[in-house]
Amino acid sequence: MSEEKPQAQPVPVASSEEEWIDEQVRRTVLVTPMDRVVDLVDKIYNWGRRNSVWPMGFGLACCAIEMICTSASRFDISRFGMELFRASPRQADLMIVAGTVTKKMAPSIVRLYNQMAEPKYVLAMGACASAGGPFKEGYSVVSGVDKLIPVDVYVPGCPPTPSALLYGLMQLQKKIDGQTIRDVSWYRKGASEGIPEPVLGPDVFDPRRAEEITALAGDPGKLEARAINIKSKAESKAEKK
Amino acid sequence: MAYGLGLVKGLKYTFTRAMKTVAGDFKHLGRRYDETLLRERQSVRGTGIFTVQYPEEKPAIPENFRFVPFLVYEPKLDANGKPVIDAQTGKEAINLERCTACGICSKVCPPQCIWIVRATTPEGKPKPKPAEFYIDIDVCMNCGFCAEFCPFDAIKMDHDYELANYERHISHIFDLKTLMKPATYHARIHPLDFKREEDDRKAKEAAKAAKK
Repeated sequence: MSEEKPQAQPVPVASSEEEWIDEQVRRTVLVTPMDRVVDLVDKIYNWGRRNSVWPMGFGLACCAIEMICTSASRFDISRFGMELFRASPRQADLMIVAGTVTKKMAPSIVRLYNQMAEPKYVLAMGACASAGGPFKEGYSVVSGVDKLIPVDVYVPGCPPTPSALLYGLMQLQKKIDGQTIRDVSWYRKGASEGIPEPVLGPDVFDPRRAEEITALAGDPGKLEARAINIKSKAESKAEKK
Repeated sequence: MAYGLGLVKGLKYTFTRAMKTVAGDFKHLGRRYDETLLRERQSVRGTGIFTVQYPEEKPAIPENFRFVPFLVYEPKLDANGKPVIDAQTGKEAINLERCTACGICSKVCPPQCIWIVRATTPEGKPKPKPAEFYIDIDVCMNCGFCAEFCPFDAIKMDHDYELANYERHISHIFDLKTLMKPATYHARIHPLDFKREEDDRKAKEAAKAAKK
């Protein structure tokens, strides 16, 4: 599994108070002409990006119906510049995970996320995508898409009404507004790493082995080693008999 | 013969609708997001724009709309019968919590998203009051069983759907402080339901008094 996690909210916690003060000093006191240019670029850049978040046409379950309703004329999503539901992950900025994430679908979701061009965002819509919802202990369901890919906004509801989804999208816009080209990962040197796809093992239907599978996921070599290990154990057992 | 007439008809409809929207904008200049206007636009009589301009205007919520649950408490009343505002929290001061921590809601909850810890007296005896009450709103499926089964009318379904957040493990696990809302709020969002409850309560009290 990847170490990439959704960016936490900048909460001024007592332990990181000094860091927070440093950050404020850096941002507000030590302003060089270069910083002003960067701030201006940020503003233009974020304005453009927040008003053209193109989602991927990607529905998994009943939440997708509400997503379709949001894009229809009554709750017109195009008022936010998000009406272009792209059929290809290469052209999409936002993945609205609308519905239950089954284990069968998990590798495809991660693959689609990896194929999206940066900057990319993920919105977990509804109870199932956020935390598994009523199926959170189901044998065939991943309890929350955040176990597979980093999530930017969680929208609760079962399913969320179109207004609730629009509110979630507005929260995402606020998040985009707070980003600066100094910090964002896609302007750093070197290619960004994709998230390894979870491999469906032979024991994927056993929820007691969930952790084991998570550890194994994304490394076929380990799976092979495991199979050999099991085989040798069985052989040694047979020898003992 | 008449090829493409359907297309022209459809475009004509779209065009007249757009023109009516523009005319309406001029007619209602300065009060574009008026609530009565929205209701008229959404009704059969509406002629112009049909879209709900969400952040500025919100669609009317029916009384039985269900979103995540909240807990009802009786607010403290002053001499005039008006609720006292607690200066520390800015909310109405708590007089009596309706919840008795019986745990029926957590038992009937289909996705099992409610955790309750019952309060105890200093001697260690259980008290009919919740010490802790958590609802994972990201698991809640808004079914309303908790509100349906609660024998004390202590848990009700909220109308507030603007709960999206950037993380879920802190802000989306609602605790007692977040869940507690005054009975006046319940009366405001569920007027018919509240009236029925009050009538039932009064009838029961009258029957009890008659027995004595």
